[in-house]
Amino acid sequence: MSKDPISVPVKRRTILKAGLALGAMQVASPFVTKSLADEPVKIGLDNPATGTYAALGKNELIGCQLALEQINAKGGILGRKVELLVEDSTSGDAGTAVEKARKLIDRDQVNFLLGNINSALAAAMANVSYEKGVFHVVPGGHTDPITGANCHWNVFRVCNTTQMEANAVAGTLIKTAGKKWYYLTPDYAFGHTLQAGLEKAAAALGGTKVGGDLTPLGTTDFSSYLIKAQAANPDVIIFLQAGDDAVNALKQAVQFGLDKKFHLAGAQQELEVLIGLPPEARIGTWVFEWYWKQPNVAHVNDFVADIRKRSGGHVPTARTWFGYAATHTCALAAAAAKSLDAVKMAKAMQGFKLPPEVALMPDGAFYRAAQNQLIPDLYVGNAQAKGSDPEDLFNVTDVVKGITTAGTVEDTGCKMTWPA
Amino acid sequence: MGAIDFNKRAANLLVWLLLGTMPYWMTAIGGYVELGSRAVVLGLGAMSLNFLLGYTGVLSFGHAAYFGLGAYGAGMMIRYVAPSTGLAIATGILVGTVAAAIIGPLIIRLRGVYFAMVTIAFGQVFYFIAFRWNAVTGGDDGLTGWTRLPIDLGFTQIDILHNPIAFYYLVLVLFAVAVGIMAFLLRSPFGRTLLAIRENERRARFLGIPVDRHIWISWIISCGFVSLAGALYALLNNFVDPRALYWTQSGDFVIMAVLGGMRSFWGPLLGAAIFVVLQDYLSSQTENWMSFLGLFFVLIVLFFPRGVLGIIRRKVTP
Repeated sequence: MSKDPISVPVKRRTILKAGLALGAMQVASPFVTKSLADEPVKIGLDNPATGTYAALGKNELIGCQLALEQINAKGGILGRKVELLVEDSTSGDAGTAVEKARKLIDRDQVNFLLGNINSALAAAMANVSYEKGVFHVVPGGHTDPITGANCHWNVFRVCNTTQMEANAVAGTLIKTAGKKWYYLTPDYAFGHTLQAGLEKAAAALGGTKVGGDLTPLGTTDFSSYLIKAQAANPDVIIFLQAGDDAVNALKQAVQFGLDKKFHLAGAQQELEVLIGLPPEARIGTWVFEWYWKQPNVAHVNDFVADIRKRSGGHVPTARTWFGYAATHTCALAAAAAKSLDAVKMAKAMQGFKLPPEVALMPDGAFYRAAQNQLIPDLYVGNAQAKGSDPEDLFNVTDVVKGITTAGTVEDTGCKMTWPA
Repeated sequence: MGAIDFNKRAANLLVWLLLGTMPYWMTAIGGYVELGSRAVVLGLGAMSLNFLLGYTGVLSFGHAAYFGLGAYGAGMMIRYVAPSTGLAIATGILVGTVAAAIIGPLIIRLRGVYFAMVTIAFGQVFYFIAFRWNAVTGGDDGLTGWTRLPIDLGFTQIDILHNPIAFYYLVLVLFAVAVGIMAFLLRSPFGRTLLAIRENERRARFLGIPVDRHIWISWIISCGFVSLAGALYALLNNFVDPRALYWTQSGDFVIMAVLGGMRSFWGPLLGAAIFVVLQDYLSSQTENWMSFLGLFFVLIVLFFPRGVLGIIRRKVTP
C-alpha cells in the first residue's frame, strides 16, 4: 500500500481507542497535584469505608463532616478554610491503612490525621504519624496500648480504653446484680483482654469468677456453653462476643430462658449493633460511650437534630460523636496553640477540657495530661427491645464519671517522650 | 527472531529505567514514593507466585502464608532478638522457605484445584496460629513496638527509616537480585524442564523427569522469594498483622499475576502496579472501589486471557 501524505487512513478503531484514552485521562486528571495560593488547612481521615466496620466508619464520617461545617462557619482554623480528605483504610488491611496514612501525610500534606476504628490499624497508623510528627486523633480504636504502653506525644484518643469500659460496667453490675460472674469469651486477643480487664475490675470490687468458656470465633451453636454456664449458677453471665457470634449467643440465651434466671451482661455495646439485633436479643447490661437521649444536657438536642438532617433521619451514635469530637479537637488544638505546629498543639491539649457543645456530656470531657486519653462520661444501662423511638434501644441507668474508671497514668503504662 | 530479541531487550531496559528513576517521576504524576515501594514489593510477591503458576503450571492459593511468615520472621527478629534490618530480612526468608520445604512434600502430588485447596488450608493454619498466639504475635492487634533500622555498612549508615527514597532503593536492589535469580533459573535447563512439565506433564514424566521433585523445588524457590517480599512488606509498614497471612492476600497475588499476564516474566509486576495504583486511586474516589477493580479483572480475564502485558505484546510482535 502506497502512503498518501495528504489523506492518512485513520481506522475506526484508532478513533475509538483515542476516545477511550481521552475518557481515561478525564478520570486520571485529579492525579495531577494542584498548587493553591492560600492553601486550606487539611484534615485527613483514614477510616474503614468498606468491610466489617463500614457502618461504624460511615457514622464517624458524618460526625466529622458536621464538625467541619461548624468549624468553617466560624471562620475555619486560624482564619484558613478547613478541608477534609477521606481515604478508605479497609476494615482489616494494615498495609492499606498505613499506605493511606502516608499518602495523606506525604502527598497531601495534611495538618491532622484521624483514624482508625480497627485497633490494629489505629496502632499501625500511630507508628506512621509518630515517625512523621503529625498531630493524630484516634476517634474509635479501643485497644489499651494506644494511650498506654505504646502511647506517643502526638496521638490523642477520643473513645475509651477497653479497661475503662470494663471498670465502668463492673461497678454497676456488682451493685445491682451480684458478685459471682461467669464468662463466655470469644477465643482471640480482643476477647482475652476484655475478660482480663473485667476480671481485674471485678476483683477490685470483691467479685469472683465462678467459671468461663472460650468460644471459637464463628460459633453458631452456644447450647453446650450455655448449659455449663447455667450449671455453675452464677449471678451474672458475661457475653463478650461481637458481631454474628453475639447475635447467636444472645438469641440462644433467651431461648434457654437464661434471661429470666440470671443477669446477662457484657462490656462495650454499640447502637449500630443493637439496631442489627433481632428485638428478642436486645437484652443485658452494657456500657455505651455516648448516647443520644440526654434531655438534661445542653446542646445534645441540637446535635441530634443536625445529625438527623444529614443521615436520612437516623440518630447519632457514639461513633458519630467520636468523629465529631475528634474533628473539633483538631480545631481546638490549633486555636489553643495559635499555631499548626504539631508539638505546640499537642502541648496545648495536655489537660484540655472540651467545651460543652463538643463534649455533650453531663460532666464534660478532658484530655488527660501525659496520656492524651480523653476522659469522658460512660453510660451504663440496659438494652431494650423497643423504646420511644425506633432507635431508642438503650436505657441508661447510671452515668459513670470517666476519671473513676481510668486508673492513674502510671497504671496505663504510658511513658511519653517529647521531641527536643 | 532478531526483532523479537531486540524488543525483549528494549522492554527490559524500559522496565529497569522506569524502576530506577521511580522516585523522580512518581511525585510529579501525583503519587508518592511509598506507593512505588509497595508496588515493587507486591510485584515481587506476584512474580514469585508466577514462577510456580506461569512457569510450572501449578496454582497455589496459599502464598500469603509464606509472605506472612516472612513478614512475621522479619518483625519478630527486630522486636525480640536483634535490632538489625539485614538480619530481619534473612530471618524472614529463612522462616518462609523452611516452612515451604517442610510442607512441600505433603502437597506436591496434588494437581489443579486440589493443590490450590490444600495450599489454602495450610495457609489458614498459619493464619490462625498468628491470630491466636497473642503473647508472641500480638494476635489480632498485630505485632507493634518495632521499626526498621538504619543499615550500618561500617563506613556509612543508610537511614532507611526516615528516608523513603533510600528504603525504596534497598527494596529495588533486593528485587533486582531476586528477579535476576528467577530469570537465570528460568533460562537454565532446570527452568526449561519446568516449562516442559507445564506444557505436558505426562510426557515429561515419560521422558524420565522426576516431576514431583521438580515441582517441589519450584515451590520452594517460589515461596522463598515470596517470603522475601513479605519481609520487605513488614519493613515497609513497620507493622505485621495476621491479615498478611490470610487467604485473601493469596487471592490478591493471583489477581495481580493474572491481571498483568501470567505467561510473561514482567506481567505480574505490571499487574501489581496496576492493582496497587488502582486501589490507591479508586478507593479515594468511591467506597465501591472493589466493584470497579473486580469489573476490570473480569474484563481482562474474559477478553485478554494473557493479561495486560499480553495485549501490549500482541501489538509489538504481531
